[in-house]
Amino acid sequence: MMFFLQYVMRRTFQNMKGNLFPNLITIGIIAISMLIFSTFTLLAFNLSNCLKIWEDKIEVIAYLKRGTPSSEVEPLLKKTRLLEGVEAVRYVSPYDAMAFMETKLGGQKNLLEGIQPMVLPPSFEIQLKKEFRNSTRIKEVVTHLKMIPQFEEIQYGQEWVETFSVLVHVLRLTQWILGGLLLIAIIFITSNTLQLTISSRREEIEVMHWVGASPSFIGVPFYVEGLIQGLLGGGLAILFLLFLHQGLFLYIPPSMQAWLAKIPVLFLPPETIAWILLGGMVLGFFGSFVASMRVLKYQ
Amino acid sequence: MKKIETRVSFVLIMSEATIEMHHVFKTYPSQISALSDVTMEIFPGEFTFIVGPSGSGKSTLLRILFCAERPTSGEVLVQGVHITQPGFKKIHQLRRAMGIVSQDFKLLRDRTVNENVAFTLEATGHNRKDAKEKASEILRRVGLEERQEDSILALSAGEQQRITIARALVNSPPLLLADEPTGNLDAKMTVEVMRIFADLHQKGMTILFATQYTGLIKYFPYRVIQISNGQIVNGKKVDVSKVEEEKAGE
Repeated sequence: MMFFLQYVMRRTFQNMKGNLFPNLITIGIIAISMLIFSTFTLLAFNLSNCLKIWEDKIEVIAYLKRGTPSSEVEPLLKKTRLLEGVEAVRYVSPYDAMAFMETKLGGQKNLLEGIQPMVLPPSFEIQLKKEFRNSTRIKEVVTHLKMIPQFEEIQYGQEWVETFSVLVHVLRLTQWILGGLLLIAIIFITSNTLQLTISSRREEIEVMHWVGASPSFIGVPFYVEGLIQGLLGGGLAILFLLFLHQGLFLYIPPSMQAWLAKIPVLFLPPETIAWILLGGMVLGFFGSFVASMRVLKYQ
Repeated sequence: MKKIETRVSFVLIMSEATIEMHHVFKTYPSQISALSDVTMEIFPGEFTFIVGPSGSGKSTLLRILFCAERPTSGEVLVQGVHITQPGFKKIHQLRRAMGIVSQDFKLLRDRTVNENVAFTLEATGHNRKDAKEKASEILRRVGLEERQEDSILALSAGEQQRITIARALVNSPPLLLADEPTGNLDAKMTVEVMRIFADLHQKGMTILFATQYTGLIKYFPYRVIQISNGQIVNGKKVDVSKVEEEKAGE
């Protein structure tokens, strides 16, 4: 067994060294293909992550009709708390709203000079239970809130959340369609390079057939070559993507960096990296398998 | 029938004959008939010439025996193994139990003499060091011990053919199939190579030797199977001892 492994590794590296240029081209093309796929994966991953963060923070603001007597606020709070999907409710008076705006404006709060707090409508900030913090279930809560006559307007950033969800879905779909096309391309390219390698060793393979070398003895080095090509291609893709990801922050203006600080732009998690590398290896192996099926048949 | 197990753990069911062909036909897709109703038996230890002109079907017959081709119909048993049975896939195991020598030497030009022979052993699971040692030993038997580290390109045709014989013998097979092994050699080299074959036969090896040069039969009077247009026209068995007695008497 040990001898066989030694032989396979020696033969694989001899094959790769002997056909260095086609091998480099194949690894490069696999790397580019995997980089495209990984970029979409990274984008979809980060957008999903943002969506998750926003969904976690999602809350409904119900504006009370002007002139609602303050005696009605407490019973209305109790009624709202009892609605299905509501975790907590906080009453925001016009004065609280004014204070909040002043905090937000910071140094520019003088803009609010002369504005009376009573101009701002009182509202309820409604936090939802975790399972209701998504674009589908949030509507159930909003429907119930709309049935309460004291509320004038309900806001929950519906359009924003829905558009974002669609964007994430489109990205995921693109990722997989592109992934499928790249998959075929990678198999085609790997199988063609390996056919070149096999052709360059045709004499040796013929002799191996003559002397009774086992099909695995003949084929395994080529399968390992495909695996290595896939692994190196996948690895390079991840490395390029890491550079791109890191480089992104170097060229972003400081004003945008502050904004981005609130939305973490993450790199792919280790398990996704492992899947991409494994995917590259499987594709490389499959490419070599297709090549060997055509060329390595025992004669 | 007796059951033996070779060094490569290939279980063979031995019938009396080493090779049996029963009503073998081979027709190529272009409707060219290469073999037509070939029936023959080769027994252990026999040296048999398959003689016939170019295109008579000698090579096809040998290629069927080492499974490089499948017959259109008929039954073939090699060392008791029914190689024409549907689903027979152990071609590599069958080839380990036989040596193959051909007119085109099929040597690896980028390797030395020793490496060419040792490669056979490496390809069949031996470690490099043992393979090199055993290759040395075999090369000594064919008279090439001095040229072990030489490049193949530096060797004459006769020497190259001796390497192919060494390569065919290195696994110690009981059967040797030779397809026009002297086809590319001059008279002197032919004699050298034939001496090696005769020596192997003396040691008990079964040899099937395809050639179109009938002159060889005169000097090496073994069994001759004559083939013409894919059919066996004469399959006489020559009593070698009688011939040798006659030669001694002369």
